[in-house]
Amino acid sequence: MRVAIIDYGSGNLRSATKAFERAAREAGITAEIDLTAEARRVRTADRIVLPGVGAYADCAAGLHAVDGMWEAVEEAAIDRARPFLGICVGMQLMSDRGLEKTITKGFGWIAGDVKEIEPADPALKIPQIGWNTIELRHAHPLFAGIPTGEQGLHAYFVHSYHLGAKRPEDIIAVADYGGPVTAAVARENLAGTQFHPEKSQALGLALIANFLRWNP
Amino acid sequence: MILFPAIDLKDSQCVRLKLGNMEQATVYNADPAAQARVFEAQGFEWLHVVDLNGAFEGRSVNGAAVEAILSATKNPVQLGGGIRALAHIENWLTKGLARVILGTVAVRNPDLVKDACRLFPGQIAVGIDARGGKVAVEGWAEASTLGAVELARKFEGVGVAAIIYTDIDRDGVLSGINWEATIALAYAVSIPVIASGGLASLDDIRRMTLPDAKKLEGAISGRALYDGRIDPAEALAILRDSQSASRSARLTR
Repeated sequence: MRVAIIDYGSGNLRSATKAFERAAREAGITAEIDLTAEARRVRTADRIVLPGVGAYADCAAGLHAVDGMWEAVEEAAIDRARPFLGICVGMQLMSDRGLEKTITKGFGWIAGDVKEIEPADPALKIPQIGWNTIELRHAHPLFAGIPTGEQGLHAYFVHSYHLGAKRPEDIIAVADYGGPVTAAVARENLAGTQFHPEKSQALGLALIANFLRWNP
Repeated sequence: MILFPAIDLKDSQCVRLKLGNMEQATVYNADPAAQARVFEAQGFEWLHVVDLNGAFEGRSVNGAAVEAILSATKNPVQLGGGIRALAHIENWLTKGLARVILGTVAVRNPDLVKDACRLFPGQIAVGIDARGGKVAVEGWAEASTLGAVELARKFEGVGVAAIIYTDIDRDGVLSGINWEATIALAYAVSIPVIASGGLASLDDIRRMTLPDAKKLEGAISGRALYDGRIDPAEALAILRDSQSASRSARLTR
């Protein structure tokens, strides 16, 4: 199995690659972790991971800037229905539109816009940076065996925006940051996390292993 | 949460050892005072200094280098290695050290720690170096049968400012801090605990901000800061930002 982690110049992807390699090794899963900037390798991969840090518009532009990459992601994720995991802004790009800085079109897989988080408590800073617990809205294979809820494991967040999904069934997990923020979305073979599994220690490694085993 | 950059002194140079072995020293800066200035400019607020020759010989050996460091930085400095008598402690505190770290002598003579804490409140830290949970002494060349938690408990209520807990098996090999043992110690005593030995990457820095680590006072970083595995600005930003986030999150509960 070859897992393509898409390298389109958004952030340092070494920690993501290392986390996927470690999760696979520890779970006894044979997987080639392929950090790649080539559209054809993404098109033919068995699983796709789309990371992303920074602003929605910049990530979308960065992905479009790699020749054929946007279409390769659509082909692998939609036409070939390969398991897809978006991370942080990579997850946000699954939405219809991003409203950060300007209005930017996303993949349109998860209905809704990516908008600024608005904590009810003014003492809570934006961005949310650090550890938070998450609450499952629906059971999902990505979270199988992972303790969640107030006493559960923590996930690592760095974000100012979140995906306001229109269909409640698309939201599988939320975090409480002065009100619910979208922590994970999923629909069919497509999933995404607002938090960084590659930086989330125990929870992250378990989630990555679940993604590598996932057969949607 | 404090990130302490480390200067380990061997023959007046700033070095890092692997697993405490004096024969495996990498020189990172021949001018320790300049290194102290670099750390201060990078935004660190404390400095951790170890006199390695001193730890092995049982007396301060790199005194001149330490004094040069003290004149070079405004940051508070803690020093360990070879300090084993009240007179040595007093001498160093007079020269401007913020804290003296007692290691071997704390194992051999816990009463000295008590006396020192009474005379110099808030300025005495105890370094506990452990291998497999057991205390190691004499520059790590000797192992004892004393448990790390057992030793730490001897200093409860004495007025020790901090315990610096070093996992020898991990120091200088960048395999990640032994968080389980360090956090267990922090919960076993009321003395603030500083993690040391093996801080390897920003993952370890983020690990320091997980709620179960909040009892720690901080961590010491050596080799990873010198070889670039930990970017100082990024590390300090992670600690600063998540600290405020968790503080405000607690307020809303």
